[in-house]
Amino acid sequence: MTSSPRDTRRRNKAARLSRAAALVAGKLVPHEKTADLLRAVIEPGDILCLEGDNQKQADFLAEQLASLDSLRDLHLVMSCITLPSHLELFKKGVVRQVDFCYAGPQGNAVADLLAAGQFPIGAIHTYNELYARYYIDLTPRVALIAAAKADRAGNLFLAANTEETPAIVEPTAFYDGVVIAQVNEIVDELPRIDIPTDQVDFVIEAPYPMHLTALFTRDPAAITDVQILMAMMAIRGIYEEYEVESLNHGVGFNTSAIELLLPTYGEELGLKGKICKYWMVNPLPTMIPAIEAGWVETVFSVGGEVGMERYTAARPDIYFTGRDGSFHSNRPMGQLAGHYAIDMFIGASLQVDIHGNSSTVSKGRITGFGGAPNMGCQPTGRRHPSKAWLKAGREANPGPGSLPGRKLVVQMVETFQSGRVPTFVESLDAQDPAIKAAMQGVAPVMIYGDDVTHLVTEEGIANLGACRSPEERTAAIRAVAGYTPVGLKRSLADTAALRARGIVRLPEDLGVSPARANRSLLAAQEIKDLVRISGGLYDPPAKFVDW
Amino acid sequence: METFQHSFPSRPLAWPADRSWALAGVVGSGNLEVLIEPNPAAPDAVAYDLQTSIPGYADSWKAALADFAAHYAVGGTRITLHDQGAAPVVITMRLRQALDLLTPAQP
Repeated sequence: MTSSPRDTRRRNKAARLSRAAALVAGKLVPHEKTADLLRAVIEPGDILCLEGDNQKQADFLAEQLASLDSLRDLHLVMSCITLPSHLELFKKGVVRQVDFCYAGPQGNAVADLLAAGQFPIGAIHTYNELYARYYIDLTPRVALIAAAKADRAGNLFLAANTEETPAIVEPTAFYDGVVIAQVNEIVDELPRIDIPTDQVDFVIEAPYPMHLTALFTRDPAAITDVQILMAMMAIRGIYEEYEVESLNHGVGFNTSAIELLLPTYGEELGLKGKICKYWMVNPLPTMIPAIEAGWVETVFSVGGEVGMERYTAARPDIYFTGRDGSFHSNRPMGQLAGHYAIDMFIGASLQVDIHGNSSTVSKGRITGFGGAPNMGCQPTGRRHPSKAWLKAGREANPGPGSLPGRKLVVQMVETFQSGRVPTFVESLDAQDPAIKAAMQGVAPVMIYGDDVTHLVTEEGIANLGACRSPEERTAAIRAVAGYTPVGLKRSLADTAALRARGIVRLPEDLGVSPARANRSLLAAQEIKDLVRISGGLYDPPAKFVDW
Repeated sequence: METFQHSFPSRPLAWPADRSWALAGVVGSGNLEVLIEPNPAAPDAVAYDLQTSIPGYADSWKAALADFAAHYAVGGTRITLHDQGAAPVVITMRLRQALDLLTPAQP
């Protein structure tokens, strides 16, 4: 018996490349030939990866792909479904299965496609979970990616938004898949090489630059007194109390308020040098005042932020930068850092139920996950101790056989969303039967109640990690749920007992003066202040500029 | 416009020597104004006087105002609230802010 060479993928790749040979010079393909290239390279049944996350999009390749009439039986793997061209593929009925993470901006359209039977979900993932599957059972046959620049040999420069490109390219290239890159421009010499040409098959200079969203820019002018009060409580009741040294912040205004209180309120409390030193977070403009005041040691990021390029390049002690001096990010490694190496994750949510589960799914919208659950969870593989980790662990894990430490996982929400919609609910909209049916019975919960240690609202802080039963946890949630239907069901006796044990804490229990919760306490009042404090290095996107 | 007057039992407030009233917030869209004044006639109760531009939330107001009276020592006061559609999350904060001006300073 002769042994098989087991090289079908390699031979198949060679066949694909030879079909495209007439279109290519070296590795360069003129953009007018893009549709021909995709037709030559993509085969029915392929696992096809289309790069695009909540910031950066291979939008030219996505549009060219959607224009083809030759596609059949595709298994799409992609982190975010965000562009109209993505939806086009589903409307054409050429997708056999889709495995993805996030569909925020298209949440309503995706729910409609699902209802019409045109959205065949494999699973909805978190970012690192999907990247991990690229190395196991979802390795792409063809990957369509985006880079800032290429040289004539096909090396790629990813600029500030490295994002997930390496996580897509590596498994594809090393398992005989085809990598096609759109780039903003082809140059003679790159500032630095982020992806070597050995891992790239085709490069196309797109007729327009890739789409980039300024996702993490929060205007200080929109921060409210309520958010400032919550931020003061969080700083005293969690940051100070646990001596949180390393952390991740979400994208919302609540955490922006905290960033802008560090140089004022935090300074007054004597916390500089004790807390908030090491960050896994994107280059948030609202962190500029704390960085300039000397609070921050390092920041590693999953992606860039439009307008922060010159500032980050000018602060290499803080940010990770390449030999060329410019900013570097990495989504999978940043998520991994946020999973294992930080004391605290703090973020917001649209809904929280009476068990502390939270979700961004609302009726008629399928949003998915993104990266928050990779960080807003307990990393049971963690072994290295820190003060915050051990303290939270002592509160939560008294028994033998339990972990000695715990990550602080904090949900910070106002009890009502805009339009008097309650944040606190008895049951999440994510429990919708249609969504669960598409997920084999699993409700898309963003952060599980069992992982949450603290809940911060404008009413106070509930230490869910220190609760000793599910009933007690529900009572603690009701105690800070304000005048929502969930909050109105609290018993005053339960709340008083939890307050006596320090599980529920009100502003006065935390030593926070509500009268000081005023916008004048912010280190920057508006975007213009951020530009000034950055020494003119921050270039805000046009939509944030009103001067 | 809806108005609402109600008293709830509350432990007596110890008035600071140098203050005879406290004010938090402003009458503006999505905001409210809270004024606390002495009402020596009823030392074991707080008398609320509310005017709101948004009718139909009497039960929520009653719950929030009763809780505030039960949680904090605000007996012997009259609290006047002028609301112009404040989000529910603002109401307790403004009450706490006004009371805070009558209690010893915290950071």
